[in-house]
Amino acid sequence: MDKKIEYAVEMNHISKIYALKQKEKKKKKEYFYALKDISFQVEKGDVIGILGTNGSGKSTLSLILAGISDHDGGEMVVNGEQALISINTGLNQQLTGEENINVKGALLGLSKKRIAQIKEGVIEFAELGDFLYQPVKKYSSGMKSRLGFSISLALNPDIFIVDEALSVGDKGFAQKCLNRMMQLRDEKNKTIFFISHSLPQVRSFCKKGMWIEGGKLIEFGDIDEVCDHYSEYVDHYNSLSEKEKKKVRDEKFNERLIKGEIKKGFWEHIFR
Amino acid sequence: MLKSIYYVLNENFTNLYRIFCISRYELLADMRDSKFGLFWNFASPAIQVITYWLVFGVGMNRNGYDGVAYLPWVIVGFSAWWYLQPCITQGCSAVFSKKDVITKMKFPISILPATVCAKEFFNHLCMMAITIVVLLLYGYRPNVYWLNLIYYAFCAFMFVEALSLTTSVLTMMWRDVKKLVVSLIRMILYLSPVLWPAAFKNYPFMTFVMKLNPVYYIVTGYRDAVFFNKSFLRHPAMGLYFWIVILVLFVIGSSLMYHFKKKMIDMI
Repeated sequence: MDKKIEYAVEMNHISKIYALKQKEKKKKKEYFYALKDISFQVEKGDVIGILGTNGSGKSTLSLILAGISDHDGGEMVVNGEQALISINTGLNQQLTGEENINVKGALLGLSKKRIAQIKEGVIEFAELGDFLYQPVKKYSSGMKSRLGFSISLALNPDIFIVDEALSVGDKGFAQKCLNRMMQLRDEKNKTIFFISHSLPQVRSFCKKGMWIEGGKLIEFGDIDEVCDHYSEYVDHYNSLSEKEKKKVRDEKFNERLIKGEIKKGFWEHIFR
Repeated sequence: MLKSIYYVLNENFTNLYRIFCISRYELLADMRDSKFGLFWNFASPAIQVITYWLVFGVGMNRNGYDGVAYLPWVIVGFSAWWYLQPCITQGCSAVFSKKDVITKMKFPISILPATVCAKEFFNHLCMMAITIVVLLLYGYRPNVYWLNLIYYAFCAFMFVEALSLTTSVLTMMWRDVKKLVVSLIRMILYLSPVLWPAAFKNYPFMTFVMKLNPVYYIVTGYRDAVFFNKSFLRHPAMGLYFWIVILVLFVIGSSLMYHFKKKMIDMI
C-alpha cells in the first residue's frame, strides 16, 4: 500500500455532548452523548448514505460535518469546502422568485456575478415559468422546494451534505433532485453525504453506507451490506412488543448518559 | 484578542456584498408588506416631526437653547436618536432572529449586526432628508460645516455596530439581555441630550457623568454641525473618549463572537 489516499473527511473519536435539564431545578445537570466516539475516513468522491433510527444522532453529525456546530471531543480533518443543502431556509415569503434567487444566493455567499450566472439554470430547474415575478408565498410547496434546492446546488462546494432534504415534495421532485446529484457525483467527483430514511433511494444512489445507532457508529462499509443489516435491525425492533421496545430504548438512553461531572472551561462555567 | 478582532473584521469586509444584499432585501420585504412601501419610510418620521411641532412649537411654546428655536433643535437631536434606538433594540436580536439561517447553513454570524445597522441606516437617510427640509424652512442654509454630519453619522454607525456585536451574542446566552436593553433604552433617552441639554445647573458633576454616555457625543455633534458651525476637531477630548469606548466595546464584542461562533447554535 504505497499509494497515499487523500481523504475528504477524517473523523477521529468525535463526540458531542448535550446538557439535559432536570425536572427539579436544584438537582445537578445531567449530560448526554449525542454522538460518542465516532471514527471514520471518507475518500474524495465517495457517496455515503447515513442511516439510523430517529434520534440516533444523524442530524447532529450532519451539523458537525458541515462545520456549523462544534464537537466536544476528538479531531476532525476536512479537505475542501463543505456545504449543507437546506431547502427552505433563506427564502423570503414577501419577495418574488427572482428576488429570492438574489437573497438566498447572497445568504450562501455567492458573488453578484455568480448569481447572474446561475439564475437561468435555477429558473429552469424550479419550473417557475410565469411565477418568476410572483411573491414566494403564492408558490406551491413543491415549487418552493425546487427553487430552494436549485439555489443551494449553485454553491459548488467539494463536499455536499444532504440531510433528509429530498423527503419534502413529491416523488417527481425527489427523482429530479437525485438525478441532478448523480450528475454531480459522476461528472464532478464530489463527495456527498446523504441522509435519508428511504432505503431504495440510498441503495441506488450511494456507494457506501454508514449506520449510526444511539450516537455510536455501528457499521461503515459497502452500501448493500449496511442496508441489509439496518433493515434487519429495524424489522427486528418492530417485531418486539411495546414493553420490549421501551426496554431497548431505555437501555440505549442509559448508555448515552454521562454520570458525574464533566470538566468544563472557564467560559462555559460562567455562561451555562 | 487580536485574532478575534482580525476574524470579525475579515469576515465583515470579505462579505460586504452579502451584508448589502441582506439589508437591502430585508428593507424591500418590509416595503412589500404595505401598499405604499417606500412612502412610509418618509411618512412615519414626518408624522413624528409634525407631532413635535404641534406639541412643542404650537402648544407649549418652549424656549429654545443656545439661541436655537426648540423645534429644529429637538428634531436634529431626534434624527440621531431615531437611528440609534432601533439599531440598539434590533441589534440585540440580530443573531437570534436569524436562527433558521444559522442552524441550516454555514454562515458568517459576525456580519449579522452589520446588516441590522446598514438596514436602519437607510431609514436614517430618509429621516435626514426630512430634517434638512425642516431646517431649510426655519431659515438655516447649508454650509461646509454640515459635512461634519457625515463624520458623526459614521460615529453613530460604529457605535451601534460595536454595541450590537456585544449584545447580540449576550442575547444568545441569556434572552433576558434583550428585555433589559429594551427597558433601559427609555431611560437612556432621558439621560442623553435629545429632549433637553442634559446639563444640571447646580450639579456640575452630574453634567460630567452625562458626558460619559457615548450618545452625548453623537447627538451634540449633530447639533454642532448644523447650528453652531463647529467642526468635530473642536472636541478632541470627547472624541478621543468616544473612540476609546467604541474600541473597548468592539474588542469585547469580537472576542465574544469569536469564542462562541460555533457554540451559538447549541444555545438556541
